[in-house]
Amino acid sequence: MEIGNEVAAMQMMNGNEAIARGAFEAGVKVAAGFPGTPSTEVMDYTHQRYADIYCEWATNEKVAVEVAIGASFAGYRSLALMKTVGLHVAADALGGAAGSQINGGLVLVVSDDVGRLAGDDYNDCRHYGNMFNIPVLEPSDSQDAKDLMVKAFEISEEYSTPVIFKTTSVTCKTTSPVLIDEDYTYEAKFRDKYPVTFSKVIMTTIMMKAKGSEHPKLTKCFNDFVANMKRLAGDSNDFDLNKLELNSKKIGVITAGTPYYYVKEVLPEASVLKLGLVMPLPEKKIRELAEHVEELYVIEDGHDVLEKNIKDLGIPVTGKELFPKFPEMTRFTPDIIEEKLVPDAPKRTPQEGVPFRLPVSCAGCSHLFIAQLLRKHKIKAAADVTCGLIGCFPHMEAYSLQKCMGSSIALTHGYNIAKDNKENFVAMIGDGGFWATGINGLMNLIFNNSQSTVIIVDNSCLAMTGGQNVASSEFGFNYKPENKLDIAKVCEAIGVKDIVTVDPQEIDKLEDAILNAVNAKTNSVVIVKKPCVTKFKLAKDTPSYIDQDLCTKCRKCIDVGCLAIESKIKDGSVEIVINEDICTGCRLCSTACHFEAIKS
Amino acid sequence: MQDTGKNIIIAGVGGQGILLFSNLLSKFYLKLGYQLKISDVIGLGQRGGGVESHFRYSDKPVLSPFIKAGDVDYLISFEQTETLRFLHCLKDDGVIFSSTYELTSTSVNARLQKDLPESKTEIIKRSENKTFIIDPDEHKSPDFYINKMMNVVMLGYYAEFRGYSHDDMIQIVRENVPEKFVEGNIKAYEIGTTIAQGELAAI
Repeated sequence: MEIGNEVAAMQMMNGNEAIARGAFEAGVKVAAGFPGTPSTEVMDYTHQRYADIYCEWATNEKVAVEVAIGASFAGYRSLALMKTVGLHVAADALGGAAGSQINGGLVLVVSDDVGRLAGDDYNDCRHYGNMFNIPVLEPSDSQDAKDLMVKAFEISEEYSTPVIFKTTSVTCKTTSPVLIDEDYTYEAKFRDKYPVTFSKVIMTTIMMKAKGSEHPKLTKCFNDFVANMKRLAGDSNDFDLNKLELNSKKIGVITAGTPYYYVKEVLPEASVLKLGLVMPLPEKKIRELAEHVEELYVIEDGHDVLEKNIKDLGIPVTGKELFPKFPEMTRFTPDIIEEKLVPDAPKRTPQEGVPFRLPVSCAGCSHLFIAQLLRKHKIKAAADVTCGLIGCFPHMEAYSLQKCMGSSIALTHGYNIAKDNKENFVAMIGDGGFWATGINGLMNLIFNNSQSTVIIVDNSCLAMTGGQNVASSEFGFNYKPENKLDIAKVCEAIGVKDIVTVDPQEIDKLEDAILNAVNAKTNSVVIVKKPCVTKFKLAKDTPSYIDQDLCTKCRKCIDVGCLAIESKIKDGSVEIVINEDICTGCRLCSTACHFEAIKS
Repeated sequence: MQDTGKNIIIAGVGGQGILLFSNLLSKFYLKLGYQLKISDVIGLGQRGGGVESHFRYSDKPVLSPFIKAGDVDYLISFEQTETLRFLHCLKDDGVIFSSTYELTSTSVNARLQKDLPESKTEIIKRSENKTFIIDPDEHKSPDFYINKMMNVVMLGYYAEFRGYSHDDMIQIVRENVPEKFVEGNIKAYEIGTTIAQGELAAI
């Protein structure tokens, strides 16, 4: 290819776009996933740009992985998308596929939220590679992401194994050039090799009972996944995706992901082993580097997974003792490497006292109305994940309990059982959390005779990740009005006694509905229905303003937790004001003001 | 002298159109034949969180997606608390473009944290770097809603400062903004160049 053509075929893509392109060039037929920052857009881009690939947002990550496993068994390359906390939900499904025979390549694109940029817990999906004995690939930039996607499917088929394709918040959100084969024509790759495949639990049970048997009924079930992985480990010493760059004999670094580029920039002389396949490890290449250099470091985002695996090979390497992990560090930066390994580098000190930003709900959001009423009536409640969890942060303090996606209903049930139903502890959950796993909590609550109130916030989408469709949305990749699920009807079918649907904008009715439900001493659901203000760009009313002559600066309005209400210093004194660019005119704050100072 | 590349941090809060700004700028540098890497760091929540974009263009392949503290040539900020967050990242000869717009941090509103005791604009002005302060209120008019258009105003400002071809830049705005917003954005761009001309003439 001529240089001129190459430039013409270069496109700027972020990691998520490049992964979608890679899936297309790998001939993927089915993609199923569950939204999760930072990798949600992989599915959106795949759906927008590559109509040949069937896409769906599944009800949760476990379902998504199962859909992908089914499609893979049918012989087609399939992809499942989630973030690492979602892989915890899907781990049982992945465990079933791990160690079993694979027809069409099966790749799980899983993102680690390093740096807690989007506010997730500190997770590392590579642990699943160790636990299930499956390969993990990790790209360093967008070109790498596209190329490694194709490679991931080849590895999955050649070594008969599901593959984890690990990204991070940095790879997902970094845009860099990608060389595109513009003449590529899509073809759904098909491979129908195994007539049966079972989870390794069944396979090993059969094998152990009939050791040495050559009967075809046994051998057709058997997949020696340990041998496959050993073969992959051996072969990986010759893979181009594990790149050994021998330079200086002083410093050697084993690295993967975007830290590779931090190392290249800060330590241009260093010898580097860049791993594209982070699991299993290319032992020969690691030993070659170790013998070449005086000091060997491992620089990896996330947990000390590579470090432990390298040390398990009996190769000494310096990692977390020099670069302590969480909470000292949430992700590598070039600065951290420079500070530790470039002795004379100048030090920069940030400006002191710059206030941090807590996450805030959008002005006009349903969640603000519910949080306000729960606080007003001192109703203790559990929050779920996604937008509603902002109510847990210290500027709002509307909830006292919050754990994982879909959990609030079961948490509430447990609390009320333990307290003999003497407290009116309430569950709040979004529509996304409800369909994800919350519905299981509700079924459990009913048939175990609970007396709990559940507030379901129906904003017609998964708002926190940018407004993807859920089962009750009136849009979506595969939307058909007749197949839309109805939250109220499902609750009724499950057996909820009291179900009421209210618009939060009618705040008196919302207040009555919540109080009636809480006091009813039975199981009840309050559905709070208003589309997400941000996703659906709801029309705004005239902004409210604060009459400074009436304002006592009691800050009750600030407690509402609305982004539009700000405390400012004007002429040396504090003034509470409403940002007219942000205010949607929902009037919730005026119900919080005891002095009628908020006007419209 | 030939420009071999620059490191730019673009900062602000969610909803200010920072990603559009960096997208338009990237199209411009690509047309000039530069290599790019742009890394977006976006906080939790749909609105109001801090947003930073590390924007690097170079005549050689760009390595790290993040710019090291001390390596920033231009800090372009749409919110002055965010300007302060990145002051230390500038090179000695780095340049600051900062809007005086301020969205009070939630932690300050809720009195979980004290705000800085003095005017943020004054702290920024005191910096040893060359500093351009843009006060959107000074350029407000009934038919131009500057707070919503600050991203493209800043693009015009920056292009004027760098001496770039306005025709090329306006063409990029035209090609990358939805049809119904093109006119408003071109107006914003031109307001940006006019403000910059005034400021630069005063130096």
